[in-house]
Amino acid sequence: MTKRTDAYFRNVPMKPYDLLAEGLIVLLVVAVVVVVLAAVLSSPDYPTVRGEDVANRQPVAFVQTSANILAGNSSIQDYGPPYTPDTDNAQSLFGIAPAKWFGVRDRIDPAQDFILKPLARAAVLNHDVATALDTYEAAIPDEQQTWVTAYLSALDEATVVNGEVRVTPGDYGPVPTLMSGMLDLGRSGLLEGALESNAKLPFTLDFTRSLLFFQDDVYASVAEKLNLLGDQWGISNETGRYPGAWWLWPYTFLYQIEPMSSSDNADLQVGAIMIGVFLIMLLIPLIPVVSWLPRWLRVNRVIWRRWYARNDGP
Amino acid sequence: MNLTQRAQRLLVDNLTLEDALPTQMPVYVNSVVYLFGVTTLSALGALVLTGVIMSLFGPAWYHGSNVGHFVNSLHFWSVQVFFGALVLHMVSKYLMAAWRDGRWKTWMVGALAFGVAVITGLTGFLSQTNWDSQWVAVQAKDAMNALGVGAFFNTMDAGQVLTLHIVVMPLLLALLVGVHLFFIRREGPVKPFQTEGRHDEAN
Repeated sequence: MTKRTDAYFRNVPMKPYDLLAEGLIVLLVVAVVVVVLAAVLSSPDYPTVRGEDVANRQPVAFVQTSANILAGNSSIQDYGPPYTPDTDNAQSLFGIAPAKWFGVRDRIDPAQDFILKPLARAAVLNHDVATALDTYEAAIPDEQQTWVTAYLSALDEATVVNGEVRVTPGDYGPVPTLMSGMLDLGRSGLLEGALESNAKLPFTLDFTRSLLFFQDDVYASVAEKLNLLGDQWGISNETGRYPGAWWLWPYTFLYQIEPMSSSDNADLQVGAIMIGVFLIMLLIPLIPVVSWLPRWLRVNRVIWRRWYARNDGP
Repeated sequence: MNLTQRAQRLLVDNLTLEDALPTQMPVYVNSVVYLFGVTTLSALGALVLTGVIMSLFGPAWYHGSNVGHFVNSLHFWSVQVFFGALVLHMVSKYLMAAWRDGRWKTWMVGALAFGVAVITGLTGFLSQTNWDSQWVAVQAKDAMNALGVGAFFNTMDAGQVLTLHIVVMPLLLALLVGVHLFFIRREGPVKPFQTEGRHDEAN
């Protein structure tokens, strides 16, 4: 032993010990437990939700998602940094909005990036889409908005006939053709590829746009059925009956209580609280009362009961 | 004194062979709570081993084959055992006030390792390439963006997330765990409380 440990353990009775044997036995036990759990219970692996699946199974929902984005109703439209320059929706706490500090890092114009640019690719394969796209882009913004808004209203009563989304006749301009083009893009399985940056293909590893495309309604709908929404303790749950990231319970718990549960700044509020809690945990040895509690709680009497039975304990 | 001599002196002063691989322990080291740390370490070893196998064969293998899915299951349950043992380890060390007698650095490095482990777990959920990854990515991005972290860490960038999970975070965790173990072996296990009503001994 070193001088340090020699001095510390002076007058403390010692017993024989085998560190490696203990470590190997525990490692073996852990390995057996893990193998048994994996063999008996397997693990969750809920398949991805793809544009192709949504377009084929829920064509009206797919078109509604697309039309809402084109109408400017995407949650990314006025999200703020790092996607859009408008900072009105940037979360703030006591006037501090960290989201603003670094500005726009990945500029996203939902209508352009999620709908019109992918349609421009589909237009190469489909002349009707090309014509509709020209018509739409030649129109003034008010006229575009009128078409899309009217079409969105009509979608509430939409039917699916032979795989096509049908709405009551109206003045929708080229929007039905554009939406039909988006539906075809989805069904072909090419949507995700069309959404990602052309400059990086075929080595794209960044799926920001294809994930944001469906996050508002489609993903939320799937998540609700799987008890994964934020007000259902969110990401600390797992699909099926498997344990999830339960170590995040304190984090997800904060989203369930006021003021966070009804706040537009909940993410920042919860994040700030968790940073504070972590700092307290980190600095426990230096914090009065919190560092004294273990002695008062006296659970140590159970842990060291044999020692205290032989010696004068606390 | 040259650099090598200084390194020798550092080891002699702080970590002899008997400190690193002890053959005797104080008699008060006599409880199941002393096994929570080594259980955490064992589960971490299982995580690294199964993670390396998954990296070698790739996502198509662990999603599409029975053997691959089994290894994925081993990784999944290793995570559960790891965090279960880690939480028990931290709670028991708190209840023992294990930072006493100059062991505050051991506690703090361990707490930092816990924080890194949580982030490693998050990047793991994001790297599953299944529905969980999709949903966690769009949910977690709001928290990251609100904190300003989203400017540098994009939960929806699979390339960034995967390399963080299998390279950067494990290396950081290994470093912290290594320092944590160094302090543990250097100091030895903290003594039980000796006297009643002296709060200063808890610091």
